[in-house]
Amino acid sequence: MAMKASRGYRTGLVDLQAGEISREIFVNEDIYAEEQERIFARAWLHVGHESQIPNPGDYFVSSMGEESVILCRDRTGRIHVFLNSCRHRGMKVCRYDEGTASVFTCPYHGWSFGTDGRLVGVPYFREAYHSRLDKEKWGLIEVAQLANYKGSIWATWDPVAPSFTEYLGGFTRYLDLQLDGWDGREAQAEVLCGVQKWLVPCNWKFPAENFSGDTYHNISHRSVDLAGIGPSGAGRRDMGERDVSRKLHVCIPDRGHQTILYVLPADRLPPPAYMNAPIVAEYFRHCEEEKRRRRGDEARLVGAPGEIFPNTALLSRQPRTMAGWHPRGPHQTECWRWYFVDREAPTEVKQFLRDYYIRYSGPAGMTEQDDMENWNYAHAASRGTIARRHPYNYDQGSGTAVTDYAYQGLRVPGEVIDLTEVQSSEQPMRNFYRRWAEFMEAGDWSQLATWRASERKAAE
Amino acid sequence: MSGPINVRELAPGTPIVLVDGARAEIVDNPGDGVWLFARYLTSPRDPALVGQEGMVFAQDVAALGDPTAG
Repeated sequence: MAMKASRGYRTGLVDLQAGEISREIFVNEDIYAEEQERIFARAWLHVGHESQIPNPGDYFVSSMGEESVILCRDRTGRIHVFLNSCRHRGMKVCRYDEGTASVFTCPYHGWSFGTDGRLVGVPYFREAYHSRLDKEKWGLIEVAQLANYKGSIWATWDPVAPSFTEYLGGFTRYLDLQLDGWDGREAQAEVLCGVQKWLVPCNWKFPAENFSGDTYHNISHRSVDLAGIGPSGAGRRDMGERDVSRKLHVCIPDRGHQTILYVLPADRLPPPAYMNAPIVAEYFRHCEEEKRRRRGDEARLVGAPGEIFPNTALLSRQPRTMAGWHPRGPHQTECWRWYFVDREAPTEVKQFLRDYYIRYSGPAGMTEQDDMENWNYAHAASRGTIARRHPYNYDQGSGTAVTDYAYQGLRVPGEVIDLTEVQSSEQPMRNFYRRWAEFMEAGDWSQLATWRASERKAAE
Repeated sequence: MSGPINVRELAPGTPIVLVDGARAEIVDNPGDGVWLFARYLTSPRDPALVGQEGMVFAQDVAALGDPTAG
């Protein structure tokens, strides 16, 4: 094994000074096992959206790291996330993807749990347990913290993790682009239809770094651009903003979140889009005007692919989707993609967007297939003894990020690289792996909340 | 002896007889094939249960029965 005895970005595997990252972090089974403990048991993870469970008893079976969890709404309307595992012998208590239930019953021995997680049914409770089993003690295991951020549900197993908004830091405005309405009203998103799920034979970090803002791989999508699947009949999406905006890489240092971002000039609305569907085009034109009226300068921000550490991808513009990259062993990832629309959008708009979304994304989406092919073969070609000896290169644009970026009066916090002329950088990937290494090294959140020390110092 | 009872098919209002001789009426069926919610009508072993609602384990259902009987 080529892995060095020491780990971490300062000592070998992730060397950001040299712009090199060892292939071991993608293919090594020991490192993968450590990730489950150090990253997925401590970070905030996306679980689902409240529109998937609108009524009491509704549930959606989701995933946190490798583990199955149940997102559900109890009889009083309160939202919970539970480990999908019976407290008696561990059997899954829910084996459907989604539905409505009054109880979750283990099919193995019959222990039964309410939608609030309480153990309510134990076969032979009087006879075999002599009524002495403490049911209060043996309810479903609930996450340590849960957050409902504008309808999106997030959870962590770590009771001392910072609040979700503190975890996001300055990235909230980019998650807002995903969840607020196209017209600028807050929290207008709903999940369209179901969630698409599929397996890719690659490590989970391949899609995570790709959606962190890899603009370098556009050549991979050349064929789909030529096919013209976009909603105006050309390219793979409407890209008019690209012609008039500044195109940025924005990274939130210390958090590990990053995104591509377009910033429109102060006097410009986004160029026309959805030109193949007049009703849809008119809807978006109206929404963009409303957003500028409601949000002012903030409406100049146009979202693009981004990543919330560790495994949630955003795409707030076209197609408007979120994805989860669930680890299924070092060599396999289960990809989940949620599709969003404004809940009050006209039916014609929702139908048009549904067709476009699945033409672009998901296992049958023409653009996502390009990505999957890259991750699949890159991973396979990195597993061999010889391949593992040679690190990947992440040097592009090193040392060129600024922390005081502004464009026509609109300041963009974070580490920013203006891509408008240079086209590409790997700053987002460096930001992602810097955070990855911090999670892998840190003993607890007192070390992981690196921003608190500088905030304290600034306050003094 | 009657055959096994498919508890998933039992609708609210259905009278049942339990293995300990109690009689009850189904008030809700979660459809999991394991549990029923029922209200006790009689309970020779524990009279305090009469009138209460509780969860009934499928294997404790001995027969379908007339709640007015016995």
